[in-house]
Amino acid sequence: MSAVGEAERRRAPNPVRAHLEAIAAALSRALKPPMTLMYPDVVEELPEGYRGVIAYRYERCVGCGLCARICPARAIKMYKVPGDKRMRPGYDMTRCIFCGFCVDVCPVNALEHTKIHDKAYYELDSMVLDPVEWAEFSRRLIEEQSARSRSPNLVRAVFDEEVGLRYERLRRS
Amino acid sequence: MIDAVPLLERVLTPAVLAPLLYPGLATALVTVLLVIWLERKIAARVQMRVGPYYVAPRVHGALQLVADGMRFFFQEVIVPLTAGRGFLLAPALALAFTAAAFAVIPGGPGVVGFKTDYSLLVALAALSLTPPLVLLMGWASNNKFAVLGSAREALLTASYEPLLFMSALAAAVMYGTLDLVAAVEAQARLGVVGLALNPLAALLFFVAMMAATDRIPFDIVMGEQEIVHGPYTEYSGVAYGVVMGLDYVKLYALSLLYANLFLGGWLPFNDPLAGSLVLYVKALAVMAAAVFLRGVYGRLRLDHALDALWSKLFPLAVVSILVSALIAYYLGG
Ligand code: SF4
Ligand code: SF4
Repeated sequence: MSAVGEAERRRAPNPVRAHLEAIAAALSRALKPPMTLMYPDVVEELPEGYRGVIAYRYERCVGCGLCARICPARAIKMYKVPGDKRMRPGYDMTRCIFCGFCVDVCPVNALEHTKIHDKAYYELDSMVLDPVEWAEFSRRLIEEQSARSRSPNLVRAVFDEEVGLRYERLRRS
Repeated sequence: MIDAVPLLERVLTPAVLAPLLYPGLATALVTVLLVIWLERKIAARVQMRVGPYYVAPRVHGALQLVADGMRFFFQEVIVPLTAGRGFLLAPALALAFTAAAFAVIPGGPGVVGFKTDYSLLVALAALSLTPPLVLLMGWASNNKFAVLGSAREALLTASYEPLLFMSALAAAVMYGTLDLVAAVEAQARLGVVGLALNPLAALLFFVAMMAATDRIPFDIVMGEQEIVHGPYTEYSGVAYGVVMGLDYVKLYALSLLYANLFLGGWLPFNDPLAGSLVLYVKALAVMAAAVFLRGVYGRLRLDHALDALWSKLFPLAVVSILVSALIAYYLGG
């Protein structure tokens, strides 16, 4: 069929055929598995280098303040800590944009990205952490992260030509 | 003291029980919940989503609609200050008329509330009383969206009702009766279901049914993205539950009609229980097909719908009656 003829056919499809084709298309889609990530029933396996909430290790930190200097969102602020002669960074989660500059700049690897970003709070104030709180919060965060990676409901995103993204369970329950 | 038993016997006649229990309102309520859930599930699957889930995940969210219904019950019914007379009366009356149709629609062999030789006519007449009440809803709401929706309902009603009646007439001519029970018996006698005898009439009835119940692609009256919710815009709480459920109850009634007219009703069973069950399942299948199309089509423009209904489908309806006449002539004579 010539290109013109083809275009003509497209412009005026046979109505019966068009209806049948539309119905068949919907049916064939309905038979495919859904592409929904059943969050929060399942835990998605996240790639290395995922930029989640920043965790801070007090014992490694040398108090250089580079992280506070580089932070573009001014999420990190240096605080005086009683009984410590150096100032230490505190963390404001309401401001952080998870850019990772602080992680990169820290000379002693006291900062790292966790794979967790889904945290909810009742009060904004509880999202602003001083150095001691941040360290404590980070300890719990890292624990939670390893608990998640051991979850029986871990799923992994696989690329599927038919539906795009699909989530597969990593462990059989 | 009045003796309760004879009184009960007099009240609890099939003519009362059929519209109230089966196939009437009680069954309709369950069916509506089931069908809306099915609709949302099917539409979700077509879009490769999961659909309602977290209310009762074990049964794939089947209780979602029960939860929704409960919410409607406990929500405040707000009647706008500017609402006119009949604002709350219209939905109640519309539901009552729809329920009246169940008095004559057989729900199975011998399961019929009120025997008449004109049950098809009575059922369609009762169902066609609802559009004027939808007009009243829009008018009483006194809101521009509601009035626009009502105007659309008026135009659409004038276009699909002829089609509905013509395709029902085609079935009636084919079986030589206006009685639904006799129609099923005629299919039993012929050994073929109406769908196979006159597929054209069956298709047209289905299309008219879709239009009558505001199913996509004929959801022009509600037109959510254009006129909020059409005539139902101002309703809230349990009144909203009624107006929203109304179209589904009507869909259920028309699906029962469809199953009786074109799918052989309760055949192949003649036992009241098995027959009723088979008929119900057939009606459910018709409803599932109707709600499945939600995932297929978009909304038609009003003028396109009117054009299609009048200039394309109406002539076909005339042809379907001729086909029926021929069938009746050859099979009956
Ligand atoms: S990730 Fe970026 S925004 Fe967040 S604290 Fe570090 S430097 Fe600041
Ligand atoms: S850059 Fe690292 S070492 Fe320096 S203050 Fe920040 S966390 Fe501490």
